[in-house]
Amino acid sequence: MATTLTSGAGTARAPRLNRKVLVAGLAIALPLLAVLVANLGRDPHSVRSPLVGRPAPPFRLVPVGGGAPVALASLRGKPVVINFWATWCVPCFQEHAALVASARTLTGVQFLGIVYEDDEARTGEFLRERGTSYPSLMDKDGRTAIAYGVFGVPETFFIDPQGRIVEKYVGALDRDAILSLLSLARGGGR
Amino acid sequence: MTLAACALSALLALARTAATSPLSTESRPAAEPRGQPPSGKLLDQRTDEIGALLRCPVCQGLSVADSPSTMARNMKAEVREKLAAGYDQEQILADFERSYGEFVRLEPPMRGVNWLVWFGPAGMLLAGGAVVVWALRRPPRPGEEKAAPAPRRDPDPPSRDTVPADPRLAAAVRRVRMLAYGWPDGTSPKERS
Repeated sequence: MATTLTSGAGTARAPRLNRKVLVAGLAIALPLLAVLVANLGRDPHSVRSPLVGRPAPPFRLVPVGGGAPVALASLRGKPVVINFWATWCVPCFQEHAALVASARTLTGVQFLGIVYEDDEARTGEFLRERGTSYPSLMDKDGRTAIAYGVFGVPETFFIDPQGRIVEKYVGALDRDAILSLLSLARGGGR
Repeated sequence: MTLAACALSALLALARTAATSPLSTESRPAAEPRGQPPSGKLLDQRTDEIGALLRCPVCQGLSVADSPSTMARNMKAEVREKLAAGYDQEQILADFERSYGEFVRLEPPMRGVNWLVWFGPAGMLLAGGAVVVWALRRPPRPGEEKAAPAPRRDPDPPSRDTVPADPRLAAAVRRVRMLAYGWPDGTSPKERS
């Protein structure tokens, strides 16, 4: 249809391909295209934690239901697994059994839960109902979660005996993941 | 120094220690405070200003100052505490960056590849402008024809009521008229009468 509407007067000459323009265009477009392609498979929400490889931020928190505060500094000398969780989080519920079983069977490792934005009474009830084998600590003002750069729950930090964070795991853990990341924290390969 | 002043300074020192080393997280931030601790309305204002520069980690593109989430409230409280303890804006932002990475800053700091983000668009605009100016002002190369003058407008443009002689073109014009004016068969009222 469009062709029938153009006036037939004076056909325009096809423009010559300008090599300089082509090169300049490619110089601008190719790097952008390369960045696009390189990042196509990347999850925009996964931000690598700058804390991996650095000393774990210290904390001193009171366990759910009260008791003596637990300080990270007092746990030097053995690997520590810190699991940020909440009762309102479904993946936390899924990984709970694997964490409790691992803490019960593995020796020379300290497991710790840190409760993220949750009510102490509800957390206590959850732990009584489902059982636990390691302390869960209340982070009432959320400062410890902020210090660890927590984006959501569950997030689990694996800390080596020197108090350095060796890995951060986002999402529900299973026993295999716990074992493999723990061997990393113990100083072995994955 | 009077007894009252002594007591007051001791209390202030105690309050500062409590503010810098809360029960939850010790030894953050690492450096010594180097700002002037604001108070009252100024403290609120500075808290909001720094909160606006921090990305709320649990939200989608919201600043800590704008987000109603618990996480943002906690972060704001931490900003306020650090300001009151005498930390300056850069120290506070750097402290959050240690936990969350550069992601937590809503304004990328001017360093490294970030210069591109800050000045890239303006640079490209200037470069584009320079190319246009150069193209307009350069003398025509030998052998290059001067651009043809713009075609003059038809002194006697066709009216709404005439149809081109070419039958295919005429059919197209009628269709357009039918759609645009709602004339049955695209025939103008004048043509019909």
